[in-house]
Amino acid sequence: MKRTIYFTIGLVMIVSSAAIARAQALSGEEIMRRSYLARYYPGEDMSAHVIMRLVSEGGQERVREFIMSRRNLKEGGEQRYFLYFHRPPDVRGTAFLVWAYPRRDDDRWLYVPALNLIRRIAASDKYESFVGSDFTYEDVAGREPEEDTHRVLREEKAGGRDAYILESIPKNPGNSDFSRKLSWIDKTTWLPLKEEYYDRRGDLARVFTADELKEIQGFWTMTKRVMKNAQSGHWTEVIFSEVRYNRKLSPELFSERSLRAPPAEFTK
Amino acid sequence: MWPKVREALVGWSMDHPKIVLTLTLFLTLAFGSQLPRMQTDTDPKSMLPSTSPVRQYNDQMERWFGLHPDVIVVGIWSEKGIFMPETLARIARLTDGIMRLPGVIARDVAAFSTVTDITVADGVLQARPILERVPPDAAAAERLKQQVLANPLLVNRLISADAKTTAIYIPIETSANGKVIADRIQAMAVAEQGPERYFFAGDPVARHTVGTEMFRQRKLFAPLAAVVICVVLYLFFKSWGLVAANMAVALIAIIWGMGLFSGLGVPIHILASMSPIFLMAISTDTVHIFNEFTFRRREVSDRRKAIQETMKAVGTPILFSDLATIAGFASLAIGHIIPARVFGLLVAFGTFVILLMSFTLVPALLALARDRQPPAVPPVDDLASSWLARFVRGCVAWKTTVVLVGCVLVAVSAVGLSKIQINNNLVAFFKPKSEIRVADRHLSQTLGGTAPLYLVADGKTPDSVTRPEFLRALEDLQRKLEQDPVVGKTLSVADVVKRVSRVLNNDDPSREVIPDSQEAVAQYLLLFSSTARPRDLNNLVDYPYQKANLMVQLRSWDAVETRALLERIRTYLSSQPLPGGVELKPAGMAYFNMVWSDEVLVGMLEGFIASCVLVFFLLILEYRSFRWGVVSFLPLLFTVVLIYGAVGFIGKDFDLPISVLSTLSLGLAVDFAIHFVSRFQQHYRETKDLEGSLIWTAARPGRGIVRNAVLFASGFAPMLFAALTPYITVGASMIAIMLLSALTTVVYLPALIALFPRWLTRGL
Repeated sequence: MKRTIYFTIGLVMIVSSAAIARAQALSGEEIMRRSYLARYYPGEDMSAHVIMRLVSEGGQERVREFIMSRRNLKEGGEQRYFLYFHRPPDVRGTAFLVWAYPRRDDDRWLYVPALNLIRRIAASDKYESFVGSDFTYEDVAGREPEEDTHRVLREEKAGGRDAYILESIPKNPGNSDFSRKLSWIDKTTWLPLKEEYYDRRGDLARVFTADELKEIQGFWTMTKRVMKNAQSGHWTEVIFSEVRYNRKLSPELFSERSLRAPPAEFTK
Repeated sequence: MWPKVREALVGWSMDHPKIVLTLTLFLTLAFGSQLPRMQTDTDPKSMLPSTSPVRQYNDQMERWFGLHPDVIVVGIWSEKGIFMPETLARIARLTDGIMRLPGVIARDVAAFSTVTDITVADGVLQARPILERVPPDAAAAERLKQQVLANPLLVNRLISADAKTTAIYIPIETSANGKVIADRIQAMAVAEQGPERYFFAGDPVARHTVGTEMFRQRKLFAPLAAVVICVVLYLFFKSWGLVAANMAVALIAIIWGMGLFSGLGVPIHILASMSPIFLMAISTDTVHIFNEFTFRRREVSDRRKAIQETMKAVGTPILFSDLATIAGFASLAIGHIIPARVFGLLVAFGTFVILLMSFTLVPALLALARDRQPPAVPPVDDLASSWLARFVRGCVAWKTTVVLVGCVLVAVSAVGLSKIQINNNLVAFFKPKSEIRVADRHLSQTLGGTAPLYLVADGKTPDSVTRPEFLRALEDLQRKLEQDPVVGKTLSVADVVKRVSRVLNNDDPSREVIPDSQEAVAQYLLLFSSTARPRDLNNLVDYPYQKANLMVQLRSWDAVETRALLERIRTYLSSQPLPGGVELKPAGMAYFNMVWSDEVLVGMLEGFIASCVLVFFLLILEYRSFRWGVVSFLPLLFTVVLIYGAVGFIGKDFDLPISVLSTLSLGLAVDFAIHFVSRFQQHYRETKDLEGSLIWTAARPGRGIVRNAVLFASGFAPMLFAALTPYITVGASMIAIMLLSALTTVVYLPALIALFPRWLTRGL
C-alpha cells in the first residue's frame, strides 16, 4: 500500500515537473512574435543609409543607394517608410513613401523628379518585389506572425549562435508567397540568422541570410543581409550604415509634401 | 593474296559450320547484352555541340537578360472571346496548375495571372497582374477586356486583337521534355471541360515530338520493312532458309553495331537511330551471293564446289562495295557534328560485320542447308531470252542515244540542283493537319507567332540604353520590322518607357513617347521595376543599361525566312545605323535554328561530298584503273544529281532527312556499279566478247541488282504512309534512289561501255 502511494507521488512529481519544463520552453508563436518585434519594430523610429546591390544570374550588377527612414505608429502595428534615392545619379531625387498596414494593402506614393510629379500607387499585394530586388514589400515591412502557424523543429547553432529552428506554415495558403518557411532565430538577439522560403511545389525558392549583426544604441541591427533566389540564382545584398534610432523624426517627413521637398539632411 | 584468304575463310566456314554458328551466336549474345544500356538523345538540338559559338552566345545572352531557351506556348481560344468570367476562371486555374508542374520554370511563366499591367485610374497608378482576381460578372470582364486591349505591351503577345485568343508562355528547364509537359497541360485542360480550344506550340514541343516520334516510328517501320523484305525475298528465291539467312545477317550487324555503341556509352541520336534501316539495306548485298548460288547450283553438282565458285565470282565485288561503303560512312566521322560521326562509325562498323558474315556465316549456312528438290535444269536460252537481256541488248543497240539522253538528264538536273535551298523547319516535319501545325498556324495568325528571335543592341558603355536617341532608333527599327510579313510582334525597352510615360501622364495617348531626357528614362524604368515583376524589364535590358534586347516574334520557323529577315535588317541598318555605332547581334531559338540548319546540313553536305571523293579514289584503287573508277562511280553521280535535281525542281528544301538520304545513296549506288563492273570484267576476260559479256552481266548479276533494288524499294514502301513527313520523304526518295541506281547500272553502263569499247577494254 505504502509503496503504491510513494509510487503515485513519484509519478505525479515526474509528470508535473515535465509539464513545468514545457511551460518554460517558448512556443513557436511566442518566438516568432519576439523575432517580429526585434526585427521590424526596434526603436520608435530609425534612419539609415542603404546600399542595395542587385546581382543577376549572369553576375551583372545594379547598385542603388538611398536613405531610408521608418517610424512606428504602434509597436507591432502601422509603420511609415520614406526612401530618398541618391544613386544611380540619373534617378537621384526619386522618392518613395510607404504607409504599411498589418492587415490591409499598403499605401504607396512615388515622386518622379524629371516630371516633378507625385503619383499614388495602388499596391496589389505585399509579395511584390521591393524596388526591383529579391526582397518583397513584406520582407521589408514584416509579416504578422498571426498569419502563420509556427512550430519549433529543433535548436541548433547557426553562425556560432544558438538558434531556434522554426517552421512556419501559412494559415491561408492564398495569402502568402510561400508554402513553408524555415527560420533560424537567434536566442539572444531574436533576429533571424537565416530563412528558407519554399514555393507551392515545395521547392526551395529563396534564402535569406543576416550576414552581419551590430548592436546600435542597444538595438541589435542587421547591417548586412542577403536574399538569394535559389531557383534563378539572382541575389540582392543590402548594407545599412549610419543607422540611428529614436531620432524623434517628425511625422511631417512621412507625408506627400516631403516627397517633393525632403529635409536637407536627406538630399546631401 | 585476297583469293587465298577468301578461299581459306570460306573453306573453313564450310568445314566447321557449327563452330561458325556457335561463335556468331555467342558474339551476338555478348553484343546484345549491352543493348539495355543504350542511351538515347531525342533532341535534334544536340546535333550542335554545346561548345558551338551560337550555343555559347545564346547561353550568354540568356544570362544577361534572364531568358530561357525553351518556351512552350499554350494558346487558348474561345468563340465567345476570352473575357468571360468562366473562361478567365479556367485560365487562372490552368496557369496555377502549370506553375506546379515539375520542369516548368514557374517564376517566369507569362500569363494573365502573372504579368503586370500598369494602368492609371483617377490619378492612381495601378500595377497588378492582369488577372489578379477573376471578374465576378460579365460587365467587370468587359472592363478588363478594354483595359488589356489598350496596353500595347500585351496585344499580340498575351491577347489577340479580337480578344478571342490568349497565350501562356511557359519556360521549361533545358533538361525537361517539352512533349511530356505539353501532354500534362493538355490533360489539365481537358479536365476543365470548357468550350475553349487549346493549342500547343513552341520549339520544345515540336522538337521533342519530332524526336520521340522518330524513335517511335523507327520501331514501327524497321520491323515492317523487315517483314516486307522477307516476303519479297521468299517470292524471289522460294526458300525460307534463304530468307532466314539473309535476315540473320542484317540482324547480327544491327545487334553488333548498336550493342557496341551502347556498351561504349555513346548516346544514340536521331541520326544513329536510323542506322538499323541502313544496315538492313546494306545487308541485302548477300542477295548477290544467293542469286549467284542459285545459278551455280544448276551448273555445278558438288555443293561445296558451287559455294566456293559462287564466292569466287561475287567475293571481289562484295569486298569492293563493302569497303567503299565503309570508307564512305567512316568519312562522316571527319566532320565536326558529333551525331553524324556516331552515325557514320556505327554504319561503317555494321557494314564491316556484314562483310565478315558474307564470307563466314553465309557459306556456313549454305553448307548446312539441304536441297529439298534437285535443282531444275536451266533451259539453255533462259538467260539470253530473259527480259533483262533483251532490254540490255536494246540499250547497246541505241547506245549513243542512251548516253546522250543520260547527259541531257544530268544537265537538266544540274539546273534543279542549283535551285535547291538549305532549310530547316521542325514544324514542317508534321503533316499540315497535325495538331502541331494547326496550333502553330493559329497562334501565328491570331498572335505574333511562336518563333522567338532576339536582337541584342550593345551600346558598349553603361547607361547607353537609357539615352533617348538610342530608344528612338530602337523604336524606328521596330516600326520597320512590324511591316515585315514574317514578324508578328516586337517588344523592347522603348515600349516599356513609352507605356510608363503615358500612364504617368494620366493615360494621355499623346504622351506615349520617349521622353527627352536620360534622367526621365532612368526614373521611368526605376518606377517600372519597382511596380511590375522585375523580370518583365530584365528580359529587355541588362543591368548596366548597356545592352537592350529587342524581342521579335516570328510567324515562321523557317531558317530561310529568318535568314532573309536578318538580311533585310542589315540593309535597313546600313541606311539608318543605330546611334553611336551600336551593332545588332541576333540570338534566340529562331536564330539558333537558322545556324543549326547551316552548320548541321552544310556539315552533312560537306561530309557527303568528302565521302564521294573518297569513294571515287577507292574505286580507282580497287580497279587499278582511272577509267573503270570513273565508270563505276557514274551510277552514284547520276543518282545523286537526278534525285537532288528533282528535289530542287519540286521546291523541296534540303533538310535533315534529305541530307541523311544522300549518304544512303553511297551505300547502294556504288554497290550496284561495283557488282556490274566486276562481273563484266570477269566475264569479258574469259570470253573477250564485249556484247555477249554485257548481256550476260545484265541478265545474271543484273538480275541480282534488280532483285536487290525491288526488294529494298518494297521494304521502304510502307514508310509512304507514315505520320511524319520526313519518313514519307525518306521512303519515297529511298525507292527512287534504289530504282534509279539500278536502272543507271543496267541501262547506262552497258550503253557507255558499248560506246567506248576500245578505251575501256584496253588492258583488260
